[in-house]
Amino acid sequence: MPDPAVSSDREEAIFHAALYLSADKRPGYLEHACGDDVQLRGRVDNLLQSNEQAGEFLEKPAVEMTGKTIALPTPYTEKEGDRIGRYKLLQQIGEGGCGVVYMAEQEEPVRRRVALKVIKLGMDTRSVIARFEAERQALALMDHPNIAKVLDAGATEAGRPFFVMEMVRGIKITEYCDQNKLSTRERLLLFTKVCNAIQHAHQKGIIHRDIKPSNILVTLHDGVPMPKVIDFGIAKATQGRLTDQTLFTAFEQFIGTPAYMSPEQAEMSGLDIDTRCDIYALGVLLYELLTGQTPFDARELLASGLDAMRHTIREKEPDRPSTRLSTMLNADPTHTVGHRRTDALKLIHLLKGDLDWIVMKALEKDRTRRYETANSLAMDIQRHLDNEPVLASPPSSVYRFHKLVRRNKTIFAALGSVVLTLVLGLVVSLYMFTQERSARRRAVAAEQEQARMREQAETGALLGIKLTQAGLAISRDDYAEAEKIMSDIPPHPASAAIYGVLGMIHARRGERLAAIQNFTKVIEVAPNDHDAYHGLAPLLAQEPDPAPYRRLREKILRQFGETRDPITAARMAKNCMIIPPIGSEMEILNRMVNVALSAGPQDRFWAYFQFVKGLAEYRLGHFASAEEWMQKVVVNQSDPNRTVSAYMVLAMARRQLLRLDEARETLAKGVKKAEISVPRTDGPLWNDQMVAHILMREAKTLMDMAPKSTNQNK
Amino acid sequence: MSDISRILESIRQGEAKAAHELLPLVYNELRDLAARKMANEAPGQTLQPTALVHEAWLRLAGNEHARFENRAHFFGAAAEAMRRILIDRARRKHALRHGGGQHRLDIEEIEIAAAAADEQLLAINEALEKFAASDPRKAELVMLRYFVGMKIDEVAEVLGISTATAKRWWTYSRAWLYSETRRTGGDSVGADLPIHP
Repeated sequence: MPDPAVSSDREEAIFHAALYLSADKRPGYLEHACGDDVQLRGRVDNLLQSNEQAGEFLEKPAVEMTGKTIALPTPYTEKEGDRIGRYKLLQQIGEGGCGVVYMAEQEEPVRRRVALKVIKLGMDTRSVIARFEAERQALALMDHPNIAKVLDAGATEAGRPFFVMEMVRGIKITEYCDQNKLSTRERLLLFTKVCNAIQHAHQKGIIHRDIKPSNILVTLHDGVPMPKVIDFGIAKATQGRLTDQTLFTAFEQFIGTPAYMSPEQAEMSGLDIDTRCDIYALGVLLYELLTGQTPFDARELLASGLDAMRHTIREKEPDRPSTRLSTMLNADPTHTVGHRRTDALKLIHLLKGDLDWIVMKALEKDRTRRYETANSLAMDIQRHLDNEPVLASPPSSVYRFHKLVRRNKTIFAALGSVVLTLVLGLVVSLYMFTQERSARRRAVAAEQEQARMREQAETGALLGIKLTQAGLAISRDDYAEAEKIMSDIPPHPASAAIYGVLGMIHARRGERLAAIQNFTKVIEVAPNDHDAYHGLAPLLAQEPDPAPYRRLREKILRQFGETRDPITAARMAKNCMIIPPIGSEMEILNRMVNVALSAGPQDRFWAYFQFVKGLAEYRLGHFASAEEWMQKVVVNQSDPNRTVSAYMVLAMARRQLLRLDEARETLAKGVKKAEISVPRTDGPLWNDQMVAHILMREAKTLMDMAPKSTNQNK
Repeated sequence: MSDISRILESIRQGEAKAAHELLPLVYNELRDLAARKMANEAPGQTLQPTALVHEAWLRLAGNEHARFENRAHFFGAAAEAMRRILIDRARRKHALRHGGGQHRLDIEEIEIAAAAADEQLLAINEALEKFAASDPRKAELVMLRYFVGMKIDEVAEVLGISTATAKRWWTYSRAWLYSETRRTGGDSVGADLPIHP
């Protein structure tokens, strides 16, 4: 007997090759492959034979194989005939993941049959009951023919929570539809009744949280099918807050199926669950009623592990119902959907359009896009049945664009630059508009711009379309409309230009908050957009709360602290020094200012660099040096706003040097300069004007303070 | 950082001895978890090893988002732990039935192994140990499938091989192990296995 313990690659290779061959070809191959090696041949023969005989060997996991005879004493199990409180257990009528359901008899105050559900998880009974009690009032308010009333809750002697409900003798809605071969129309009518029940509960402030076929039972009332939603209030009481720790247990034992779980529930951020998770579950139910399958397969979800499951529920777009049916039909042409009379092809045709979109709207990942209420979902179905136009529609172009961007980030990075170039052109023309007040010229320019944008848009950039629309709205002075359009599009670097224009317009109109918001967005989508910082810094410096300005300063230092470009270094350093920085920041700022000065006196921005240097010296407490630098700027008189700012710093430096009269005189000169030469609210240098204004306020405050007795730096 | 994350990270960085720290941790967790689950389950219910191991993973790694490559180590350890739990049980019951009755069966512990299957389990285990000595990677695949109950594509992912490769490995390993248990013979293997020809 050959020893199979000696394994070799060759043996394995021959084994696999032989497996591919039909029985009659094998001997010839093996003879050839094994040659004279009798042992090898023996081992391979043995393996091949074993492979054929192995049957189910090892195919079942060890635990399942050995798990047939678990015999554990279960002391805490209630049985028929037992009494729980005032209820007598008559008969076990069901057993689900989370508990055992009994038909029970209540003897007082009224004698009636009820359903009693004992929860079997090792849960904290007190908190379950406390959560139930918290909702009890609201539950009592529910009174709807399609809702099974929850009557009572308590703890068994063994300490397990139980719930008492109105007795419903029915079968799962999905089973009912299939057994009775309901047509699509009949299914939809039944489904709208469920929607109405859920709507009623929502109006009473109750969220079900666990809508699924086994919680919607159908009974017949005088031959008319009557859906009853059961288990209201129980999911909330027993689930509490789902965490990672309890999630798997929850899926396995309690919730039973993740197929009906909404993305926000899967996310388990905890608190924020509202009625829209029920809308989602209704969408899943509708999907299942129409196609016979849930959007995602529960078993696949569970088998994929927690992270993959969460990812699927939160990110993956399910097939549309009609697409799903086509797939099923392709796989099995004889497929009959949900044992229905309708043949599958007809059904696909029926679902395409309205029903597809209704289902998909209920199943939106983003709950703000779902139906607002169960009622509006029901009404849309009714509209469909009445052949009226439905609310649900194919996703809008922007929405689709958003998805497209999400799927093709790299392509859009490239495309974005095209759009950006285009939009920058628009910004330039907009800038001309604000300079040129002629309405006529504006209209002409806008028209040209529009034509250009339209041409661009037709090449397929939907973002471009939206940005164009926003740009045109701006040119009509309809800023609200522009902002509305912008709020619809995903953050994208190309939108920075529009936000920038909006920020500038608001800033000039003195609408600081709106300006700040827009500039902040610019920095979010395009952290390298210098102009936004120049606008944002003086705006934030005027806010009562110093924190946002400080944060911006930190951001600037991180982003531009190492720049080697003199003008960038100078401008960003100035942005950081509008309000006195802290010591460690000053070190970086001083380095930035030195980068600017390294450009030398021949640089065309030299006067500006001198001003920034003077400001830095002042912030460092080098007042004499600050005076020296600022004196040069004032003499130069190159730019009105800068000159005013320079006067202010000069005045403050002199004030710190205790040359009080001189300081007051300098301040007065600066104020006068501001009055005569600075236009009030117009002009491109509005941010420099703001800086001058802030420095003026600082200087005035300083003048009003009692002089200090210490004299630094002199 | 929890113990498990620390250990998994050490393994990832190539500290071989960390693997020895992992096993007892996973072993205890799985045993406790199984015991608690059995106490809550209705009689006659089977344990789902995959769910058990996933839950153990969640409990041990908790919210610290441990890396996926770490998870492979974890599953390896879990398979080994499951194997030991089952083999220990089977051995003790075997001893009990064959007159070694001085070992009292602890009823608090999990009662998962059925008498008829114990012998087969022990035989498979013996063969598997031999197999692991010559082909450790394939033996790990068998452990993950047989003791954790993972599907072939899950195993492939954990081991970082293609599904096709995993399938080939499985076919080969299964034939090998079957041949081995058959060879070592009749008496320790249950009657449901064919007798050596």
